[in-house]
Amino acid sequence: MTPRPTNRPTPFAQARWSRRRFLGGGAMLTGGLVLGPTVLAGCGDDSESSSPKSDADKNSGGTKLRVSNWPLYMAEGFNEKFEEDTDFTIEYKENFQDNETWFAANKDALQAGQDIGADLVVPTNFMTARLISLGWLSELDHDNIPNISNLRPDLLDGAWDPGAVYSLPYFSGFVGLAYNKKETGREITSIDDLWDPKFKGKVSMFSDMQDALGMIMMSEGNSPANASVDAVQQAANLVDEKNQGGQIRRFTGNDYQDDLTSGNVIVAQVYSGDVAQLQEDNPDIEFVVPEGGGTQFVDTMVVPSTTQNQKGAEAWMNFVYDKDNYAMLTDFVQYIPVLADMDEALDKVNPDLATNPLVNPPQEVLDRVEAWGPLPEEDEAEMVSIYAKVTGG
Amino acid sequence: MAGTAGSGRRTAKWVPYAMIAPTLAFLLVFFVVPIFTLFKTSLSVNSGSLFVPELKFDWEWANYAAAFDEYRDQIFRSFWYALAATVIMIAMAYPLAYVLAFKAGRWKNLMLGMVILPFFVTFLVRTIAWKTILADDGVVVDVLGAIHLLPADGRLLSTPWAVIGGLVYNFLPFMVLPIYVSLEKIDPRLIEASKDLYSSAGRGFRKVILPLSMPGVLAGSLLCFIPASGDFINAEYLGSTRTTMLGTVIQKQFLVVKDYPTAAAMSFVLMAIILVMVIAYTRALGTEDLV
Repeated sequence: MTPRPTNRPTPFAQARWSRRRFLGGGAMLTGGLVLGPTVLAGCGDDSESSSPKSDADKNSGGTKLRVSNWPLYMAEGFNEKFEEDTDFTIEYKENFQDNETWFAANKDALQAGQDIGADLVVPTNFMTARLISLGWLSELDHDNIPNISNLRPDLLDGAWDPGAVYSLPYFSGFVGLAYNKKETGREITSIDDLWDPKFKGKVSMFSDMQDALGMIMMSEGNSPANASVDAVQQAANLVDEKNQGGQIRRFTGNDYQDDLTSGNVIVAQVYSGDVAQLQEDNPDIEFVVPEGGGTQFVDTMVVPSTTQNQKGAEAWMNFVYDKDNYAMLTDFVQYIPVLADMDEALDKVNPDLATNPLVNPPQEVLDRVEAWGPLPEEDEAEMVSIYAKVTGG
Repeated sequence: MAGTAGSGRRTAKWVPYAMIAPTLAFLLVFFVVPIFTLFKTSLSVNSGSLFVPELKFDWEWANYAAAFDEYRDQIFRSFWYALAATVIMIAMAYPLAYVLAFKAGRWKNLMLGMVILPFFVTFLVRTIAWKTILADDGVVVDVLGAIHLLPADGRLLSTPWAVIGGLVYNFLPFMVLPIYVSLEKIDPRLIEASKDLYSSAGRGFRKVILPLSMPGVLAGSLLCFIPASGDFINAEYLGSTRTTMLGTVIQKQFLVVKDYPTAAAMSFVLMAIILVMVIAYTRALGTEDLV
C-alpha cells in the first residue's frame, strides 16, 4: 500500500530511492532532522500547542500553503499554475517517502498538537484510516471543493473514510508482479511462478506487510479486504519457508527497480505506476496482476489537524480535481485516476493515455484486485510484527 | 597542566574546568541523558496504544531475553562480519601504511590524498556503486565465472562476502590513517640502531617497527570494528534476506514495528557486546600509548 511514484526519467533515479531507504534506515538521524524544526517551532510558540485548534489557527499561515508529497508524484508546472490561478503561494516538498517512517517521525508532534511543517500530506489509505482514528486530521469543508463532483462515486465512500470527511483520493494503483521476460523465458501468471526453482535467489518481495502479503493471501483464498491475523500468519509462513530455502533475494522498498532492470532480480513485486519507468530502462520487463489477484491502494490528500492553512489545502484539492489539471498530473505519474470520465481530458493531454492499461486498467484486471480493509489497531500491529520477523528484523 | 605551573604566570585552578565545560555540557545533554532514556525505554512496557506507545518503566528484563532469543542470528552475524572485515582491513592497511610512511617519498601526499579521496563521495553512494560492480550480469562475475573461481550460477552480490567486502571498503581509511600516523612517528634513529646492532630487516621490523606501531593498529581496529558491527547500510544493499545485521533489526524495530523497548534493548545488547570485545582486545594489546 505504499506507492513510490516514479515515472519520469530522472538523472537522480538512484539518489531517489537511496534517499528513501536512507530515511528508513538512517533512522534517528534523519528522523531527527525531520522532527527538529517542528520541535523548535513548538517550543517558541505556545499558541500552537493547544488543541483542538480554532478556524483562525488553522488559517494562521496567511497565503503560504505547505504541501508534503511523495517524490516524483507531481507534474511540471502544476503548482505554478495553481499559484497563478489562486492567491496562494505554495511551498512544495517531496519529503513523504514512506508511510511508516513519516508516521514515526511526526506522531509525537501531531499528538502534542504542534506544527509538522505541512498543511497537506498524501498518505496511503491504510495510514489515513489510522490518522483518522487517532483524531489527527482536520475535517474537510466540501463547500470549498466544488470539483469533488468529479470524483469517482465509489471512492467518495472508501472504507478508510466513509463520506470523505477527512480525506480525498489523489491517485490509485496496484501491487502486482513484474518480470524480465527474456530471463524467465516464459510468461509469469501466478504466485506459484515466484517459487519456481529456476528463479532461486532471483526474486524480490516488498518489506511492507500489506504490499507483500496481499497477493499471497489472495492466492491462498483469503481476502485482504477482511484480513485476519491467521491469514496473514499463513501467508507469512509461506514467505518464510521460501526465504529459508534461498528463493528470495531481497525484501525491498522502493529500491527493487534497480535490481530488476539490471538483471539481479528477474521476478519482483512492484507498484503499477513504476512500470513505465521500468520498461524504459529495460524493454523486456512485463507487468502482471497475478491470477490469484493483486492489491489496490489509494493515496489520499489529507489536512493534519495542526495545519496553518486549511483553506489553501482545500483550494489545492479543488485545483487537483479539475479534470484538465488532473489529466496533466496523470500524464506525469501514470497511476490510475480517481476522477470519473477522464477519457476526454486525458486525450487532450496525451492520446495514448486512455489506452494505457496502467492508467486505464481493463475490467478483467479490476475484477481481480482488492483493497485492504480497515484493520483493528491490535491486529495491524501484530501483522506488521509477524512479517517483520520474516523479513529479518 | 603541571608543566605550565612553574613557568611564570600561574593558571587559575578553574581554567581547565572552564575549558572542558562546553564539551561536558554537550556530552551530558546529548550523550548521558539519551543513554539514560534509552536504558529506561529498554526496561519499559507499552501501556498505551500500539501506534502511539506510552511507555511505562517496569524493570522489564524480559525485553532483553526476547531480543537475545529472537535475533540470535543477527547478533552473531554482526560480530562475525565486523570481525572478519577488521582482520582483512588490518592485512590490507598495514602494508599500505608502511609504504606510505617509509617508501613513498615525494609521492606520499598524493598517495595519502588517494586514500582519503573516496570519502569525498557519500557513504551511501559508494556502497551502491558496489552493487553495479558486483551485479550478477556484471564484468566481475563474468570474469570470475570464466576462470571458474565462481560456479556457473554463482554470484557475488547478496552474499555475506559482498557485505564483508563493503565493510572493508567503507572503513579502510580509518584503519590506514592511524597505522600510518603511528609508523610515521617512529624515530628513524631507532631503526638505524637496530641495523647497527646487526639486526636483519625482518627482525628489525618484528622487534622495533611492529611493537611501536601497535597503538595505531589498536586505534584503527576500534575505529573500524565498532561502527562496522552496528552498520546496516552494507547489509541492506550488498546483502540478501539472510545477511541482516543487528543494525537492520534496530532500525526496523524503531521505525516499522515501533516496538521501542525491544529496539532499545537490542541497542544495549549491541553496546554491551562491543564493550566486552573492546575491553578484551585493548587488554591484550595494551592502551598506554594509544595514538
